[in-house]
Amino acid sequence: MDPSEAEFLAEKETITIIPNFSLDKVFLIGGDLGPFNPGLPVDVPVWFALNLKQRQKCRIVPPAWMDVEKLEEMRDLERREGAFTPVPSPFYMELSKLLLNYASDNIPKADEIRTLVKDIWDTRIAKLRLSADRFISQMEAHARLDNLTLMEINTIRSFLLDSLNCMYRLRSNLQPGSSKDRADY
Amino acid sequence: MKHASTVFPFHRVIWLNCLPSPRNEAKAGRTELIPSIKLRHCCLLRNQRCVVAYLYDRLLRIRALRWEYGSVLPANIRFHMCAEELQWFNQYKKSLANFMRSVGGGDGLDITQDMKPPKSLYIEVRCLKDHGEFEIDDGTVILLKKNSQHFLPRWKCEQLIRQGVLEHVLS
Amino acid sequence: MDSQPYQPIRPGVGMEENFLSIDDILLSHERLPVRTECVFPRLGFLEKSSDSQDIAEGTKMELPLWLSKGLYERNRKVLSIELPKVYRDGWRTVFNADPNVVDLHKMGPYYYGLGSQMLHFENPENTEIGQTLLQTFIGRFRRTMDCSQNAYNEDTSVLLERLDSLEKALFSSGQSGLNGFQSWEKGRASQLTASTLVLNYRKRKITEVQS
Repeated sequence: MDPSEAEFLAEKETITIIPNFSLDKVFLIGGDLGPFNPGLPVDVPVWFALNLKQRQKCRIVPPAWMDVEKLEEMRDLERREGAFTPVPSPFYMELSKLLLNYASDNIPKADEIRTLVKDIWDTRIAKLRLSADRFISQMEAHARLDNLTLMEINTIRSFLLDSLNCMYRLRSNLQPGSSKDRADY
Repeated sequence: MKHASTVFPFHRVIWLNCLPSPRNEAKAGRTELIPSIKLRHCCLLRNQRCVVAYLYDRLLRIRALRWEYGSVLPANIRFHMCAEELQWFNQYKKSLANFMRSVGGGDGLDITQDMKPPKSLYIEVRCLKDHGEFEIDDGTVILLKKNSQHFLPRWKCEQLIRQGVLEHVLS
Repeated sequence: MDSQPYQPIRPGVGMEENFLSIDDILLSHERLPVRTECVFPRLGFLEKSSDSQDIAEGTKMELPLWLSKGLYERNRKVLSIELPKVYRDGWRTVFNADPNVVDLHKMGPYYYGLGSQMLHFENPENTEIGQTLLQTFIGRFRRTMDCSQNAYNEDTSVLLERLDSLEKALFSSGQSGLNGFQSWEKGRASQLTASTLVLNYRKRKITEVQS
């Protein structure tokens, strides 16, 4: 899966905006949007919010977790715990990038948040590699991927699957008679 | 292609007529020839495997060309394909077109478009080489001249970008 | 990336080859030291060192894996296959001690592939060979992963130089994941790009002109 596809999925998450225009309800295949009134908060999908933002039609209200204190807490917990801790949004990475790129003026302390999210990501990826290594060295057959997000799994998916395939085949070598006696030319 | 010479070093075994055909020998009861006959048989099967694998790999590449270049291949690529491969390509093209017509309601759906989720309807592109005149949806004709920059509907450019005529410029 | 329209047939790992895989064809072209256990009449021309008409019993020669596999029979002695050095006891001790110090490219480059294929031939050491292959893979995994996941925008040839062909394939799938993410982070994931097939053809055309 391409990271741009993960981002595309993340754009379907809803976010609160404060529009500066009025418009009646819009009926779309994916659901109804609006009605929009200046100054009144309304929930819309991220792709729509960003589109309005780029045309300066609204102000984006950052999600509650996009806050320096909360993220610091998360980062510390993530560093302390051996297992993966729950993340505030299954698309935390994608949303941070989108919102910080297009609407950083609506997010207090945007730079700090950027660094914090990156720290959390790095910690989690390091953990992911560590557990992948443990997984291989102990020859486990299955693993729990609790609390991992799509983007995180995505970066290691093809590598991990290929490695597991290799390991599986090398292990099946050890079972005599497991493969048919057949000549390949 | 590159490995042809290393893959086929045993082909001489087959062409040298030192080995009589297996059937006659077995009939004549000359069992001491069996190991040599077996070796010859292995060589035949090996060559068959090499040829089949080579042709199949070519086929995979040709199939990919339909997705990368579109339905019309440049002459220099067609030049390197044999008649059967051209025929296969045309049939693949037809099957794909039939399928695309059958999905997405009455108008069909071009599934070779939007390989990545589109961000906007129009994109900024730069010409990498002279491509001549180009008509867009509303009937305007623009001249795609080397190094010129245009703002065009994404679905019109996607194929040209893949072909290396245009370059997608990110704002 | 996995969204590439052209994907070559993957090699089969382990004892079974993938019939259509070009990599497996190249692997089965590796030469093995063998000793003939019967006469091969009228094939003397394959053996350059003697000018007799037949290949005599007891001749030592090198045959490609595919031919050895085709001729080998469990019940009837046609060929006896010698184990290549890397799979013998001496080297196995080295691999078991520290798999990371070995240059598998020089020893292979099909260390795992050929090793798995060797299990086709009845050999009392087969179990140990299989064990060593698996342990070597596991022992080297950390390094393969680390260099494939950390090397971004670097010249990777130094990292690749000591890897087996199977590890190289792993390395590049790890790199594709990393590069995909990095280019997304830089905001380039949504950029449309020219197809690699097209670029390759162009490169080839240029070299054709130059030569």
